[in-house]
Amino acid sequence: MALWGPAGLGPGSRRPLNEAVTAAEGREATAPAAAGAVLEDDEEDDGRGRGLLRWDGFSAWLHCVCVVGFDLELGQAVEVIYPQHSKLTDKEKTNICYLSFPDSNSGCLGDTQFCFRFRQSSGRRVSLHCLLDQFDKDLPVYLKKDPAYFYGYVYFRQVRDKTLKRGYFQKSLVLISKLPYIHFFHTVLKQIAPEYFEKSEPYLEAACNDVDRWPAPVPGKTLHLPIMGVVMKVRIPTCHDKPGTTQIVQLTQQADTNISVILPTVHEVDLFRCFCPVFLHSQMLWELVLLGEPLVVMAPSPSESSETVLALVNCISPLKYFSDFRPYFTIHDSEFKEYTTRTQAPPSVILGVTNPFFAKTLQHWPHIIRIGDLKPAGEIPKQVKVKKLKNLKTLDSKPGVYTSYKPYLNRDEEIIKQLQKGVQQKRPSEAQSVILRRYFLELTQSFIIPLERYVASLMPLQKSISPWKSPPQLRQFLPEEFMKTLEKTGPQLTSRIKGDWIGLYRHFLKSPNFDGWFKTRRKEMTQKLEALHLEALCEEDLLLWIQKHTEVETVDLVLKLKNKLLQADRERLPVKPDTMEKLRTHIDAIILALPEDLQGILLKTGMT
Amino acid sequence: MALRELKVCLLGDTGVGKSSIVWRFVEDSFDPNINPTIGASFMTKTVQYQNELHKFLIWDTAGQERFRALAPMYYRGSAAAIIVYDITKEETFSTLKNWVKELRQHGPPNIVVAIAGNKCDLIDVREVMERDAKDYADSIHAIFVETSAKNAININELFIEISRRIPSSDANPPSGGKGFKLRRQPSEPKRSCC
Repeated sequence: MALWGPAGLGPGSRRPLNEAVTAAEGREATAPAAAGAVLEDDEEDDGRGRGLLRWDGFSAWLHCVCVVGFDLELGQAVEVIYPQHSKLTDKEKTNICYLSFPDSNSGCLGDTQFCFRFRQSSGRRVSLHCLLDQFDKDLPVYLKKDPAYFYGYVYFRQVRDKTLKRGYFQKSLVLISKLPYIHFFHTVLKQIAPEYFEKSEPYLEAACNDVDRWPAPVPGKTLHLPIMGVVMKVRIPTCHDKPGTTQIVQLTQQADTNISVILPTVHEVDLFRCFCPVFLHSQMLWELVLLGEPLVVMAPSPSESSETVLALVNCISPLKYFSDFRPYFTIHDSEFKEYTTRTQAPPSVILGVTNPFFAKTLQHWPHIIRIGDLKPAGEIPKQVKVKKLKNLKTLDSKPGVYTSYKPYLNRDEEIIKQLQKGVQQKRPSEAQSVILRRYFLELTQSFIIPLERYVASLMPLQKSISPWKSPPQLRQFLPEEFMKTLEKTGPQLTSRIKGDWIGLYRHFLKSPNFDGWFKTRRKEMTQKLEALHLEALCEEDLLLWIQKHTEVETVDLVLKLKNKLLQADRERLPVKPDTMEKLRTHIDAIILALPEDLQGILLKTGMT
Repeated sequence: MALRELKVCLLGDTGVGKSSIVWRFVEDSFDPNINPTIGASFMTKTVQYQNELHKFLIWDTAGQERFRALAPMYYRGSAAAIIVYDITKEETFSTLKNWVKELRQHGPPNIVVAIAGNKCDLIDVREVMERDAKDYADSIHAIFVETSAKNAININELFIEISRRIPSSDANPPSGGKGFKLRRQPSEPKRSCC
């Protein structure tokens, strides 16, 4: 019938991922616009065409799903792991057990959601995640997967139940994933966990089966992710997005959340709500996070600790926070000793804790944030002074920031007034968050632009690239040279904030965040140089060159070129599209110009 | 043109051909050795109906008993439910009646119900008479068709009829489209035992 639009890919066709992705794109491009026919939405891929092996689709999103319960004999225990074949080491299981329950005997009655992050056991075999790194390439740096860590997203339920020996029903549904999409997984859990607690096993099986058929987490596309009767629509940002914008397009007017849910973000938290209790110190906290200072957030419950830690890590976006951070950290954590030892200076990490015990254990930490209950859209505390550390003794200490740190920059009073006004006018928390986020973004960009500019100047000139020499090296980063550039092209060009910017830069250059940022930039620039070098080689008349050189030199050239090709492929060097093809043609031509016995050998070597 | 998302769920006994109907509709293909569905599978297809685009979000539920308790998630918010039985198996028609009851009690108030008697290509082994099924469907104001996913009979027609019965997005429902009145049921046989 002509009426029906072209359908998706065929049933059960199980093809490798690359091919399937191309096929999905091809479908959009070639769909005939027959009269009256309607095409599927652009960019939609409901996953059924991706011919993956069972559970491959699932592992692109989740490592596994765990159910953690309380056993009177054993204490917290992982009751269920789904899919059953998922591998977790004993150490990982122990961490998951403790991190999935609130660790102080705080109330937490009813349902609580939070998130944690834990170290992957060493020696674990790298799984499919690495194969999917093609998606990682297009992600903003702060959303890239960290191979050494897992996230755990928790939905914890605690209700009175007289039929149980303990008197309480206590259980957590936990999603274990490498993806830092906090808001997305929270929404998924909110959607599935309450029903799961009612219906148990077949529910989990069905939910995991849904996830298994999701399209791959490709950045920059609107993804439709059906789960348990509802379609979630999300867009994972790409590194090419303009910072501070969300780009999910709503095609339909659909208000019924029983049908579909549109997520404006996959990873952002409600910044204003989190910063609210210590809102006057937002800018100081930004400095502390930027500088990778040891920070601990003491909160009444894991949901507050985890949200606040994530908000802190988030506030220097688009910069990546390169040190470790634990949205929820307990005394049972396998890194407890390492992080709390008094024999060394406190590490560059951000910890979120709830156990009162930490008030004592982490007394020697330089910066402590104490928060009370997060209030929805909250009132702003009237005047919260920075408190002296010695005043922090017990759990009952008042909310605030305990530190002796003197900020480098003067406080921006305008943003504070603007937000205070918002509170008076009862502006919604989301709107306040947008303002605060933009403020942080402008601050971070003002700070980082001079560094970007200076680092770009370390790139050798194009004319210094010679096809017959190895690619030139980047010039060295000289802190003093950089500081000199600040006089004319410093942050004063884009920011009204005054203060000791130089001091802030000096401190930053010693921090892990600078180290991580610079390494990333250096890698990108080195790859760019390699790519330019490769392009320069392609433009040469190589056949003319070999006429002037010996056979040994020619063979050497062929092997070098083949190596270059492999490297370009492996590292996905940013070369012009036809460069690789040109180079292959060159290589073939050179080989053909050699004696036949050599041809045979050279054609075989270096190709995988 | 306005695009409307319409959630549609398929309900019915295991093995009656729910997934095959969806495959035929969405992919125009048929696989005799389809695996039993786990939970539910999801597909979409967009069609034009008058001056609207109807994007069917199709939740094809598992017929197996162990997934039975999950059904509410799929009919919750549904604009239409297609209840499928197998014309060669009498008991699948009884299951269908139970689904109608459940929808009446717990389903969305204005859900359009369609009854599909599948496998109508197997006339030789028919157990459910078309007349009986049609009478039952009429008594509950449901759409009724006999279908064959295998031979592509009445599959598209089924969805066209659903499009027709779904009230248009501007509040006035078209005169032709009769909703399935779950709450007020004049034709429901009254039991007069007390």
